[in-house]
Amino acid sequence: MSTKEDKKIEEEVFDNTLGTEFVEAPKYSCALAGAYATTLGIYGVVPLLHAGLGCGLGQLFGQLYAGGQNAGGPVGGTSTPTTGLVEEHVIFGGEDKLRRLIESSAELMEGDAFAVISGCIPSLIGDDVEAVIRDFEGKVPLININAPGFSGSSYEGYELFFEAVIDQILEPLPKEKGLVNVFGIVPYQHIFWKGEVDAVKKLLESIGLKANVIFTEFNGFEKLKEIPKAEYNLVLSSWNGHRIVKKLEEKFDTPFIAFPSVPVGPKQTNYFLRTVGEKLDVSTEIIEEFVDNEERKAYRFIEYAGDAIILVRPHSYFAVVADSNAVINITQFLANEVGYLPDIIQITDNPPEEYRDAIIKEITDKLETPVKPDIFFENDSHLAREKLRDRPFQFLFSSSLESPTAMSELGALHVTVGFPSYNRVILGDSYTGYAGGLRLMEDFISTFAGPL
Amino acid sequence: MSEEYDPDYKIDLDKATCPNREQRAKGTNVYYGKATELIKDARAGNLKCKDRNFQQTSGCVLNFYLTVRVATIRDAAIIFHGPVGCSSSSLGYRELFRGIPTELGRPEKYELNWITTNLQQKDVVYGASAKLKRAVLEAQKRYDPKAIFILTTCTSGVIGEDIEGAVAEIQPEVKATIVPIHCEGVRSRLVQTGYDAFWHGVLKYLVKKPEKKQKDLVNVASMLSYTWQDRLEIKRLLNKVGLRVNFVPEFATVEQFEQLGEAAVTAPLCPTYTDYISRGLEQEYGVPFFLYPPPTGIRNTDEWLRKIGKYTDKEDEIEALIEEEHKVWSPKLEAIKDEFKKLKGDGEIEVLGALGQGRLLSQLPYFDELGLKSAAALTQDFDNLILEDLERLVDDIGDVDVLVNTFQAAEQAHVTRTRDPDITLTCPFQGGAYKREKNVTRIHSLRADPDPWSAQSGYAGAVAFGNFLLQSLDSTSFQKNLKRKTADSYKEWWYEQPNPLHYLKEETSK
Repeated sequence: MSTKEDKKIEEEVFDNTLGTEFVEAPKYSCALAGAYATTLGIYGVVPLLHAGLGCGLGQLFGQLYAGGQNAGGPVGGTSTPTTGLVEEHVIFGGEDKLRRLIESSAELMEGDAFAVISGCIPSLIGDDVEAVIRDFEGKVPLININAPGFSGSSYEGYELFFEAVIDQILEPLPKEKGLVNVFGIVPYQHIFWKGEVDAVKKLLESIGLKANVIFTEFNGFEKLKEIPKAEYNLVLSSWNGHRIVKKLEEKFDTPFIAFPSVPVGPKQTNYFLRTVGEKLDVSTEIIEEFVDNEERKAYRFIEYAGDAIILVRPHSYFAVVADSNAVINITQFLANEVGYLPDIIQITDNPPEEYRDAIIKEITDKLETPVKPDIFFENDSHLAREKLRDRPFQFLFSSSLESPTAMSELGALHVTVGFPSYNRVILGDSYTGYAGGLRLMEDFISTFAGPL
Repeated sequence: MSEEYDPDYKIDLDKATCPNREQRAKGTNVYYGKATELIKDARAGNLKCKDRNFQQTSGCVLNFYLTVRVATIRDAAIIFHGPVGCSSSSLGYRELFRGIPTELGRPEKYELNWITTNLQQKDVVYGASAKLKRAVLEAQKRYDPKAIFILTTCTSGVIGEDIEGAVAEIQPEVKATIVPIHCEGVRSRLVQTGYDAFWHGVLKYLVKKPEKKQKDLVNVASMLSYTWQDRLEIKRLLNKVGLRVNFVPEFATVEQFEQLGEAAVTAPLCPTYTDYISRGLEQEYGVPFFLYPPPTGIRNTDEWLRKIGKYTDKEDEIEALIEEEHKVWSPKLEAIKDEFKKLKGDGEIEVLGALGQGRLLSQLPYFDELGLKSAAALTQDFDNLILEDLERLVDDIGDVDVLVNTFQAAEQAHVTRTRDPDITLTCPFQGGAYKREKNVTRIHSLRADPDPWSAQSGYAGAVAFGNFLLQSLDSTSFQKNLKRKTADSYKEWWYEQPNPLHYLKEETSK
């Protein structure tokens, strides 16, 4: 059924991270969830949800468990304070409740700072959250994040969190040479987030740089405040974190270097290190020595997989259905390092229109095969499933949603590489760097490995 | 004035939804004291919902069970009318029941479907009923379902969406029966209102006027905290006397809902969960029901079966069944009791359970049967639907402290630390209270767990759960390491002061 009204909506340009219409099981949650997950990634900052009774619990299931079957840690999940707004607050306002929650939380919970994340209800009823927060100035360190669920997806929540930090917390600091901040990795939503920040940090340290990755550092609030010290900001995503690094450039004159995603395997990692090194005046010798060494070792190890690949599943077709970051680095690794053939790629994170051409270009331009994949931006899990039918691919790299039926319905071996990931627990693992490429190989070869 | 549940209360299916548990059953979100005092206070009308100055996230009418339950109804489609985050907890839908082997009765092929209307800024300004209608049409086209459930959210409620109007307008255009469920998170402090809201929709739109009575059909409302093995055990027992079970709502077909009015009886697993549908089926279609006891433990399984026998004219067969089953299972339970006795010497082993209101009634007698002492019971909320049953329970097993607290994690951590029971039975909703030196296990597994090890219902479940609890006494390393090596959620003063309800605000809320 297509009415005139339908048409109008289809033509509407995406100006946010939600798309416009109803959608089956989109592979992300809301802005509140993203801001919440981001806060939980920063150890020492306690999230306070100024929201409905179940917003936090819903995100325990729908953002945290879904993000690699992870619990929320000491201040996440059911430990997370909330104003728990109900009807009487809708009528009389939730400001008083928020004031009392801030007081009690600061009294009861260990926190270097508290992030007040406001959801749909305060926004709809017009709570003056800013005024409440102003009353605590000098008493409780607070970050005010206005993240109603209807304003965007989890990815938007990540941007909103850092925009609030930049506006409310950060002060200019003298620049430290060789220090870079890392952006573009969204906690829980990018299911390998913990391993990714750790691997990126170690890679940069290996060529003599220092990285402030913010997440999983035990002095997280200090790390936030140190953001203006960096010589450069690195953004490891084709769109996540771009608003943040542009804002930091405006406010603190920190230039940024953008990469399409976190690097996976030797080729991408070499490129990453050489590019960063060159910008930050690391001597070519240091970089090349490290790169040579790591690359040599990585390929020496990849050689161990040679028989399994060549004898069992050589030059196979594959499909990727995941967020922009994963789609880019996994496709490039498989096509350019394993000799696999990209059949169909579906991008599930609904990137804003302005970034879409660059994402497609990033996938297609660097492919070392004449095979050109069909590429779709598809956030509807039903439509994504329909598009996978009757295609030649033998491997499906996607979320756990597709895992139960990948073989029976599509004849494909399945590896969970994206959100939601209920069937894959990720504590510190990632595909990042030289070792990460090996990990990815282990994962997909293990789906068919057996006696030769 | 007595505050007992009004026996003449009528469910009004002309209304769009049920009353809140606060109104229908004088429910409360907080209490700490002896069960006998709780009963007295409930009778005297002293139970009121209260606000807390420190509160933690613990679930709402929509996002406690409904998001993860309704989306498992087969041949239906679910539309969440809200922003995208309200339904992200349904993302496990395709995987939930897949882990059950087909040999254990899972159908090979089935589809579950849900969509969100994905409300955003312009929708909250201009309204979104046109979008909701388009979603209904699309659901019909895509999935060809037998029913389309519409679940409302805080946002759809606060912006004043006319759900009933939209349904009336669009129903003639779709084949599926539309079932609106009014479950805005803001409507109630008690998540159990969500159960009632769901059953209201089922009663109003799905249950058909019985064409025939099925004298051998037993309705059992099975919720997510009862496993696949619990179902198999119940089925095994009832099949033995020639009865069939109609398990709703999870993983049921729409037809199973339609038939609810034809059954001989509605039997409980969780009394408080089953309450509204049981009363509604009796009121509308004369299906008798009972709410106590649930089939947990050998004693209560006997009683549960006897009650079913009464309503199905199978009393003799049930007695024979009980005798036969006892021969198999009673010695096993006795052996477990002996093991517990040996472990603690002269004293009793103390357990502390994080329970729902229903499990308060089902687990405490079971722990008693095992010879375990319940130090106290933590329950989510409390209402007068179970007043008499609680009274009977106290008569049977003695008085016990009850903390009603909607799973407030800090309060639970406090009680766990200060009571220091031998075993604490936790669930994910209990926060960090599992970090301790003594034993920890879970209160229950979940619906899709096919392992006989996880069963709790019927005779097999009584023995399995007993062995499970015994096994838990052999393990402390995980919780001990985490207690010693990771941060606690709260400052030390919290545990040093005596009152778990320290942050309770004294004035009563609405």
